[in-house]
Amino acid sequence: MELREFFTEGAIQLDLKGESKDEILKELIALLAVDEKSQGILYKMLKRRENLGSTGIGRGIAIPHCRSLVVNRLRVAFGRKTSGVDFKAIDEQPARYFFLIVAPPLEVSNRYLPVLGKIAQFSKEPDVSARLDELTNPLEFLALLQEKGV
Amino acid sequence: MHPELEALLEIQDLKTQRRELGETPSRDMQEAVFGLSTEEALSILDAKIAEMEEALAPDVRGRYRRIANKQPRVVVPVIRGTCYGCFVQIPTALASDADRNEEVRSCQSCGRFLYLID
Repeated sequence: MELREFFTEGAIQLDLKGESKDEILKELIALLAVDEKSQGILYKMLKRRENLGSTGIGRGIAIPHCRSLVVNRLRVAFGRKTSGVDFKAIDEQPARYFFLIVAPPLEVSNRYLPVLGKIAQFSKEPDVSARLDELTNPLEFLALLQEKGV
Repeated sequence: MHPELEALLEIQDLKTQRRELGETPSRDMQEAVFGLSTEEALSILDAKIAEMEEALAPDVRGRYRRIANKQPRVVVPVIRGTCYGCFVQIPTALASDADRNEEVRSCQSCGRFLYLID
């Protein structure tokens, strides 16, 4: 299983407009192209997860995630906000790179936790922040995932 | 979407989150990667679930409790006409209803609340 296979070009946004954590979450959810009602429910669930503790893991990276009945398969999205937003991250620094993961409550292949783990592993690579900054289009993001072999 | 169904969905999602947070692989990851205090998180989730259950309309709450006493999953998706609680086909008219999810419906076979999904 490789991360590359879960991302599509349409679910990658390198120029997020949001200026707050809430706006960024909504923009990320919109990348999944689910109906409006489902977007609202996903937003609520992601907020509930964030209220337990931020998913900002430091070094500019955040991994908002949740399981919800409104999706029937694992979905992921990536967004970048170069100037960063306050995400209440562990290191108290603004978050600039966002990996969204949502999954149904039950998955036959049970890939939610492995994908979450792989994104966390990818995020720990020392050059990842700089490489994410350099991206000019979604295809380069996909190529970076492939290059890192995660 | 019917507001009671939306509340049921949210409760079910919270219960999923609570169950997963109580299991070893997920708990370990949440603590190691996100620095989450899982015991505190579980308490918060328990309180929220209880609050939302109490806020359900009395008739829905009664049905909810009856199912919850027997089944961990009270709300289940309907995917391609199949109830994902008992895996029995539901009536075509219900599955293809244009006003899907505008009513609180139950599976005629297992009794679970149904959420129609594409």
